[in-house]
Amino acid sequence: MARILVIDDDDQLLRMVGLMLERGGHTVTLVGDPIKGLEQLEIEKPDMLVVDVMMPHMSGHDVARQLRENKETENLPILILTARAQEIDRVTALKSGASDYLSKPVTSQELIDKVKTLLAEKAEKSEAPQEGLVIGFYGLRGGVGQTTIAVNLAASLLRVSQGSVALVDLSSSVGQAVMHMRLQAHSSWANLRNESQLDWETLKGQLIAHQSGLQLLAAPADPMPPDLPSAALTKKMLELMRNNLQFTVIDLPHTFSPAFIAGLESSDIVLQVLTPEMISVQSAVQVNRTLAKMGMTFKQKSYILNHTTAEAQLPRATVERGLNARIAFKVGYDTNQGRALSQGVPLTLTSAQSPLPTIVNRMGDVIWQRVTSKKS
Amino acid sequence: MVTGNFGVRQLINLDLFTDAYRVTGRALVGAGGIHAELGNPNTSFLEIQEAYISRIHQPGEIVVNYKQAAFRKENINFIVLQDRREGIPVGTGHGRSVFTRGRAIPAFLTVPSFEIHGDIIHEGTLAPREILVQSIGRFQLVFSAKASASVFPDISYSGDLILVHKERIGIFCLGHNQS
Repeated sequence: MARILVIDDDDQLLRMVGLMLERGGHTVTLVGDPIKGLEQLEIEKPDMLVVDVMMPHMSGHDVARQLRENKETENLPILILTARAQEIDRVTALKSGASDYLSKPVTSQELIDKVKTLLAEKAEKSEAPQEGLVIGFYGLRGGVGQTTIAVNLAASLLRVSQGSVALVDLSSSVGQAVMHMRLQAHSSWANLRNESQLDWETLKGQLIAHQSGLQLLAAPADPMPPDLPSAALTKKMLELMRNNLQFTVIDLPHTFSPAFIAGLESSDIVLQVLTPEMISVQSAVQVNRTLAKMGMTFKQKSYILNHTTAEAQLPRATVERGLNARIAFKVGYDTNQGRALSQGVPLTLTSAQSPLPTIVNRMGDVIWQRVTSKKS
Repeated sequence: MVTGNFGVRQLINLDLFTDAYRVTGRALVGAGGIHAELGNPNTSFLEIQEAYISRIHQPGEIVVNYKQAAFRKENINFIVLQDRREGIPVGTGHGRSVFTRGRAIPAFLTVPSFEIHGDIIHEGTLAPREILVQSIGRFQLVFSAKASASVFPDISYSGDLILVHKERIGIFCLGHNQS
């Protein structure tokens, strides 16, 4: 299932292509104007673009050229679909930067096959880095939306990388991630006991697959002692995941437990989530002070300010003054989150353009660019 | 599809070539296809909707586009169609139409800046002059055809049917190439 943006000024053809792609299991956004299409592309960051050549104001070739000049979209699969059916048109389309070309009229099967091929090529190109990236989320205060953002970032990384991504819920007191993804916690890290004998195959056996392809190492369904999982087990699990997956996103527990410390130590990127409330800011400052006293330093750390209610709260500048640090990402209150929870599909996997997926997708893109720029 | 006083009419995609330009667009045609429109004595122009115009030496690049355009039939060198049924009535399962009756003969034609290979379908004497005179309308039908630019042979256009303006034909050869 991919998110595909279709740009065509012919309303009938636009709807027909949309229908064909939807029947192929994709999420489709239809735009009838190339300029609006480019704006939509910036907001939505789809997995693929299908574009007509002959459109007023801007041709599909111009759209492809523009996208190839942009670092963010230089690798986006672009399928040109046009009534110009000659060899010279195919050559021109490929020269303009399109990934491939189909001439109209096109059958549903032709279109689906071509889309599948282009998405597979993209996935091949974005091969996993030698060592995966581990991203840890922490808050030490419940209700700040930490799990929501962690789940959505994991989904966003899956979308952008088309690679292997897992979410780890290290909570010892009934994890929330399973509920966000509407999965049954039939397996969890509680089944992994002896870290010295733990291997990837055993750990993989405990991962629960979401319909999107996202993997989850869930927290146990029943509450566990707060010192579980142990620091050694946590480190071993994360080491195995780093060696076998492209991205591992950890939803760290809200307690100062061995797993919390081990998870932070194992993370390449640490993201601290807080809400714009005085108590949340104070709690964040206090935790950071304690971590500093323990001598913990992070390779890369950013703050996420999450609005969990629609009510007016502390302004961003006040929060930044309180933290004595800059907020990297501010997530607005999102009314769609309730629906996403009931459906078990993270908003970043849908075509929703509301505040949460918009910002979290931006986060995912920043991380993905970091990985790809390191590779090149 | 449009239904009016003249029966059912439909929009077809076509590539039209003049001396200096390639035009891709859509034309509204009736049951007689584009051949009937070209032969309509009531107008000297062919109307094209959503016309996208390219220069002949850069045929992939669109120079301008307009919602409506009219082309003087006299100035059209040839028209490329991807489906012969959009050009002419091809007949039914019970019998071929007047345009598709006869045998297919390989042909080579030239028009300004282009050479065209394909098949002519003809019933009767095999003589180039007779075919040009006897075939219906001002445009010669060349089936399963390919038009190549004389000066840029890498640039070519293929179609199930190419309609070639008879008055623009410079060379017309029948049969197989002897070389």
